[in-house]
Amino acid sequence: MADRAEFMDKVRHRTRTGKYRPTHAPDVAWTREGAPPDKEPIEDPSARFLEELEAVGGHGRRVKDLEEARSYVLDLAREREAKLLLRWGVGELTRLGVDGPLRKDGVEVAVWNDDLADSKDVASRADIGLSTAAWAIAETGSLVLEGGPGRGRIVTLLPPSYVAVVPVDRVLSTVPEMIRKYAEAGNVPANICFHTGPSRSGDIEMTLAIGVHGPGDVHVLLVG
Amino acid sequence: MTTSKPARKHDTEDRRREGISSNREGFNQRSRKAIGDRQLHDAVALASKNLIGGRNKVLGSLPDAPELRERAYRIKQETMANLDRYLEQMADAVEARGGNVFFASDGEDAIRYVADLARRKGAKIIAKSKSMATEEIELNRRLEEDYPDLGLEIVETDLGEWIAQLAGETPSHIVGPILHMNRQRVADILSGVAGEKLPPDVEELTKFARKRLREKFLAAEIGMTGANFGVAETGTICTVTNEGNARLVTSVPPVHVVVMGIEKLIPKFDDLSTFVQLLARSGTGQKVTVYTNFITGPRAEGEMDGAEEMHLILLDNGRSKLLGTEFEEALYCIRCGACLNVCPVYRQAGGHTYGSTYSGPIGAVITPLLKGDKEAKDLPHASSLCGACSEACPVGIPLHDLLLKLRNRQVNEGLAGKGQSVAFKGFENTMRSPALYKISGKAGRVAQKVVEKDGAIRPLPGPLSGWTNTRDLPPLAPKSFRELWKKGLKDG
Amino acid sequence: MRVALFIPCYVDLINPEVGVGAVRVLRRLGVDVIYPDGQTCCGQPAFNSGFFDEARGVARHFLDVFEKEEWDYIVCPSGSCATMVSHYYPFIFEDLPEDRERSESLGHRVREFSDFLVNVLGVTDLGANHEGRAVFHTGCHQRRELGILNEPRELLRNVSSLDLLDWENEELCCGFGGTFSIKMPDVSTAMADEKIAALEKSGADTIISCDSSCLMHLGGRLKRTGHDTRIMHLAQILDPGKAG
Repeated sequence: MADRAEFMDKVRHRTRTGKYRPTHAPDVAWTREGAPPDKEPIEDPSARFLEELEAVGGHGRRVKDLEEARSYVLDLAREREAKLLLRWGVGELTRLGVDGPLRKDGVEVAVWNDDLADSKDVASRADIGLSTAAWAIAETGSLVLEGGPGRGRIVTLLPPSYVAVVPVDRVLSTVPEMIRKYAEAGNVPANICFHTGPSRSGDIEMTLAIGVHGPGDVHVLLVG
Repeated sequence: MTTSKPARKHDTEDRRREGISSNREGFNQRSRKAIGDRQLHDAVALASKNLIGGRNKVLGSLPDAPELRERAYRIKQETMANLDRYLEQMADAVEARGGNVFFASDGEDAIRYVADLARRKGAKIIAKSKSMATEEIELNRRLEEDYPDLGLEIVETDLGEWIAQLAGETPSHIVGPILHMNRQRVADILSGVAGEKLPPDVEELTKFARKRLREKFLAAEIGMTGANFGVAETGTICTVTNEGNARLVTSVPPVHVVVMGIEKLIPKFDDLSTFVQLLARSGTGQKVTVYTNFITGPRAEGEMDGAEEMHLILLDNGRSKLLGTEFEEALYCIRCGACLNVCPVYRQAGGHTYGSTYSGPIGAVITPLLKGDKEAKDLPHASSLCGACSEACPVGIPLHDLLLKLRNRQVNEGLAGKGQSVAFKGFENTMRSPALYKISGKAGRVAQKVVEKDGAIRPLPGPLSGWTNTRDLPPLAPKSFRELWKKGLKDG
Repeated sequence: MRVALFIPCYVDLINPEVGVGAVRVLRRLGVDVIYPDGQTCCGQPAFNSGFFDEARGVARHFLDVFEKEEWDYIVCPSGSCATMVSHYYPFIFEDLPEDRERSESLGHRVREFSDFLVNVLGVTDLGANHEGRAVFHTGCHQRRELGILNEPRELLRNVSSLDLLDWENEELCCGFGGTFSIKMPDVSTAMADEKIAALEKSGADTIISCDSSCLMHLGGRLKRTGHDTRIMHLAQILDPGKAG
């Protein structure tokens, strides 16, 4: 049985002055010819977000209000011939008001909260997952999802189609900015996920396969 | 029902194990198979081209890439210089969040812990996302073979890793585990599991894999991951995938086990931004992978998914002995795979030739460091020292210099062999003596008359046969430069 | 300007015409060229095989020879040998401060041939002529330790009748690597074949480099596989005294 003290003994402080010696090789990343690319702040984060999301095969749209967002979700459910939509049990999505209209369309709506029985089974059967996001990152087209009450992780993972509805003022510019926010906040949530576009793999003959384990059909609506 | 139990092909597993111990003389010999495999060569060449092309684009467009690289080096340097402190901090932070921490001196310790845990939980299925550390300690095989009473099924969920597992093979590249297989091969392997003939169509095969692995995700009692990074300040584990399997195995099964090499630590949460920016860009040419997941302890209060129990296994397995040595920089590796993609030797030889968990330049460095020189005698010599690896490394590890130092270490340990030692002593003596050097040149010119033909030296027996079997050797010139200089060039 | 010539051992013994070409080029440019007597080798073969002690012995001899005078520069028609002295002598003498200092002070005066022409003499056009369609191979040390990529090409672009072509996988190592070529012959040969495939694809009839070691390896494989590609060092192309 490994002894913690014994383990630490082997690791005990050993100083060493390392010499960071960058190579002279004219690598495009480390040794640039000419001026480095501009370190410009992103002027329009939401536009950049949508661009980046599109570039990785996600579908992004800026909508002006919840009503537009609601129609998008309804249209999507129709197009995908969805029978079951599972959404986060959060106030924002209740206010989105898709439950009624979807049910009228014959789509079952399940809400991720304590009342949901067989949540795993529901999530595996759901055709569409719907969530909000804590933040979004423009530079990469990433959603930032936090776990918590009503915010099931598998809602965003198991269904083949996934929609996130995000207020536009939650779009940050860069990854360092996002990480800095959490670093400064002091308390890190149990789970944070930067989710960027559809699940994919190039493992088989380096051919792109979409929707390997997570959703392959990813939609983000920036509202406002 | 056919289980996903891996095909326990004795020969492939043994071939790898044999590879490790026969590294004494085997690299060149083993490379022949890969060199003759044109399909493998083309796959590796294409992968390298795509991955490097992508990498150049996304790293080249980062305005502060050089600064990030230096910062990454310094963060790792700081971490290793105070690793004991950061390990303590990590353990405290994880425990404060309700996780469990175990210190595993070696693979056996780690595996025993997992086995005990599995027994306590009555677990039958472990769903794993990709972890090089678990491959290093051969966790899957040893859990199955050393603890058969547990009846454990360990399922790799990374698409390529699962397919390799089913075939009883080891992955051949850090990022693309089944680069060495074509789609027909994959179809054959998956058809065996499906019990019906699946077409060699990537979409169809992926659909099948998704369905079959989904069953495992939902049934597994234990989800196991590695960690790309561990943050000491907060106890956070960061995993990075494109498929979503790491997020799935940490969301569905009630127990989450992390096997993390101790060198994966970084001090502060904010340090993540340096590494998250570098890892995907360097390894796959993406700005960020599809799922970059940060897990801090088991599920929070009020969450209905996420693991209820979290176990962090901190693995030493030979890493600590590198701390404070001239080889410490090898621990700074973030396993991005860039060095494999640029390596001209890897391009020809492929991953399996290295006969080790870690292949390519980092493999050639870390394997003798973790397993000892005798176990991996050939690997430091499996390089032309071109330096492309050091150039590509996003943390600035001087890989090719480390290879040289490893060669020197072998010499100092007396592993270089009498023949070489004598030869290079003779070389030194000749080159320190202009007179001896001159004589050797003259003697060489006389000697070669025997083997020279049409201005070239053709196949020779002996040590030079390695060259002359496949290449012509130019003869020594009738007059050396020195002689020409003395005989007139000096005066113009 | 007084310049010492550092002629690598294989140039001395196998390709002396490279040294001769270098001398003629430098003299044409008004440089006073000396070939210090007693030089033998930079020690790289021992170094690459991990025999650092033996390499140090050879390195000390090199330093003795080249310290005899205060040259303005030490010019070497080989990227890999220039790198050995300028970059790796301090490396092998890391823990020996006296030798380390010697090698550092000498090291920065060691310049690879094309680097010297372009960056010290400021010359890119030597009025040379050579007919052919050529690709240029940059040796790995020249690329990664010295960073001398464009200089040879600039010089070659001014060679009349020479068509300088691009080729694929330009940055890939040729596979020589010193003793690597004998220790791992199959891999080494496969690496050469990769470069030769790119050469064929480019349509070049000539391969030029600043490293005779690379040329020896690629040339040896080209000949064995029945190619009649011309194999030439940059110094030979620029050599004003060559026939034709």
